Amino acid sequence: MNKSIYITLLFLLFAVQLFIPAQMIYEQEDTLDTGTAYKFKTAPIDPSDPFRGKYIVLNYEMNSFETNEEDWSDYSGKVFVYLKTDAEGFATIKNVSKTLIDTSDEYVIAESKYNYNDTKVNFDLPFDRYYMNENKAYDAEISVRKAQVDTTKICYGLVFVKDGTAVLDNVFIDETPIQEFVEEYQEGIQ
Amino acid sequence: MNSKLERQLAELLEADIINSDTAQKITAFYRTKDENKPNRLFTIFGVLGALLSGLGIILIIAHNWDDMPRNIKTIFAFIPLLFGQIACGYSLIKKKSTTWIESSATFLILAVGATISLVSQIYNIPGDLSNFLLVWTIITAPLIYLLRSNLAVIIHLVLATWYACYSGYSFNSSGHVPWLYLVLFAWVIPYYVLLQKQKPETNIAGVLNWLLPLSLVIVLGTFTNGDTLLFLMYIGLFGLFYNLGQLSIFKNQKLRRNGFTIVGSLGTIFLLTILTFEWFWKDSIKETYDQIEVLITCILFLAGIATLAYLHLKKQVQSFNLFQYAFLIIGLLYLTRGIGSVYGIVATNLLVAALGLFAVRIGINKSSYGILNYGLLIITALIICRFFDTNLDFIFRGILFIAVGAGFFFANYLLIKKQRKTALSSTSNTQNHE
Repeated sequence: MNKSIYITLLFLLFAVQLFIPAQMIYEQEDTLDTGTAYKFKTAPIDPSDPFRGKYIVLNYEMNSFETNEEDWSDYSGKVFVYLKTDAEGFATIKNVSKTLIDTSDEYVIAESKYNYNDTKVNFDLPFDRYYMNENKAYDAEISVRKAQVDTTKICYGLVFVKDGTAVLDNVFIDETPIQEFVEEYQEGIQ
Repeated sequence: MNSKLERQLAELLEADIINSDTAQKITAFYRTKDENKPNRLFTIFGVLGALLSGLGIILIIAHNWDDMPRNIKTIFAFIPLLFGQIACGYSLIKKKSTTWIESSATFLILAVGATISLVSQIYNIPGDLSNFLLVWTIITAPLIYLLRSNLAVIIHLVLATWYACYSGYSFNSSGHVPWLYLVLFAWVIPYYVLLQKQKPETNIAGVLNWLLPLSLVIVLGTFTNGDTLLFLMYIGLFGLFYNLGQLSIFKNQKLRRNGFTIVGSLGTIFLLTILTFEWFWKDSIKETYDQIEVLITCILFLAGIATLAYLHLKKQVQSFNLFQYAFLIIGLLYLTRGIGSVYGIVATNLLVAALGLFAVRIGINKSSYGILNYGLLIITALIICRFFDTNLDFIFRGILFIAVGAGFFFANYLLIKKQRKTALSSTSNTQNHE
């Protein structure tokens, strides 16, 4: 192979290397700009990733549903969770299905496993990681847990949804973004 | 020229083995040889610099700068990537030295990782570490061939192994069999084969002789859930490695460069020692298997047999070596395990003892204390296992231990005697010539 082919292939590879993160950004930005915002009630805990840093795992209250479909027992795989909003403005489930339904309702794609009941489906919502500053992630877990025990504060993730793509924009405790909430908590203990 | 050679030359001059003219010629020869060699030290420092700065960028990103607006962070995400790409492009277009190629490739690989991490972090993109490692490995894999970078091969293998372990050994959620690891592994094979054909003596060939088998040893366990079949699978793999290590291309090199033989031999002995216990043969009769697990085991055994056949066809087998056939014997014992567990236990114990004695024999023939004592250690390990395992009475076990202890002394004494004899005869030969 002569040198020009090598150089062309190398530049093609560079294009792929640039395209992949750019595509990731485009998909997320598009959902944030034009998607519908939902609030999912949750509780955070704090682990760590060697490359992407500290994050909090969000355990969503929304994790199972009684469906009209049957044969859920032993099912594991993808499920389509169709959403609606309740009177307080939080996301609730309209329907859950193994296949796409012809409807204008927004949906998220969740992973389903550990199903033992024929009509009830269990699932994990995919947007369960919220990356945080390394000095705030652990305190986020502690402060939110305290707030939920001591007061009636509600913790929720603000998620933008469009055509099955879901982007977790921020985590709030009542109306305060989690970063600010943790900063206030850290100032309080000093 | 290194100081060791200078010292040796001075010694040879003093002993009147070479004259000063020859010494000068030797010095001149190595000096010109060294001048033609690329500066290895520069390459090592260049790569270390790229590695450390790349990892540093990843760590700084991991801090998570939450005060910075999202768009600024996104722009920052691309800076290391573009920097790495410019360096790699420049190295290839300007045909820069190995130092440039290796350093820029190393930096670019880490920069790709840094960019994907930062984008995932900014947008809270779901997915665990295995998905991240997989994307990273795939989009940097072509650099191996495009830049002919040795470091790229090493990093690729490390990332692929890490991905397979994270995905397959289910540290986080339920494990998935990492089939794509096989593709990632196969991707480096043409590079490795070419390297073995063109430059088998280079450092990178020596490093890969170890890295390739170790990576497979680490990952193979992710392909099965079966207890006893897992052992058989590994025995097949180690048998294949041992026989690959006997190919003349590896066998003619120093033993420490032959990772296949050493990993194959140590692995076989370790597993066979475990197989001398009763539980393995009892459990193996009860176990049920998955088709894919059986298929992988068969492929490994067939590859081992094929290598063995190739060695015989190409007349690369000088004398009978039991280590080459150990995996086949265990395979046969496993297939006929229905006969009863006692039969399997006795046969495996005999096999391990025979392998130990065989290693002792090889050690004495090659005058190698290392191999000799390895053989004795195999026998000792076997006896220690029986110490805990059987209903043999104390006197018998005591006698066994004394016998093996005496064996250590005796075998080493034999080897010393043999070496003295050889040394004596060679001295008398030299005197005769004079």
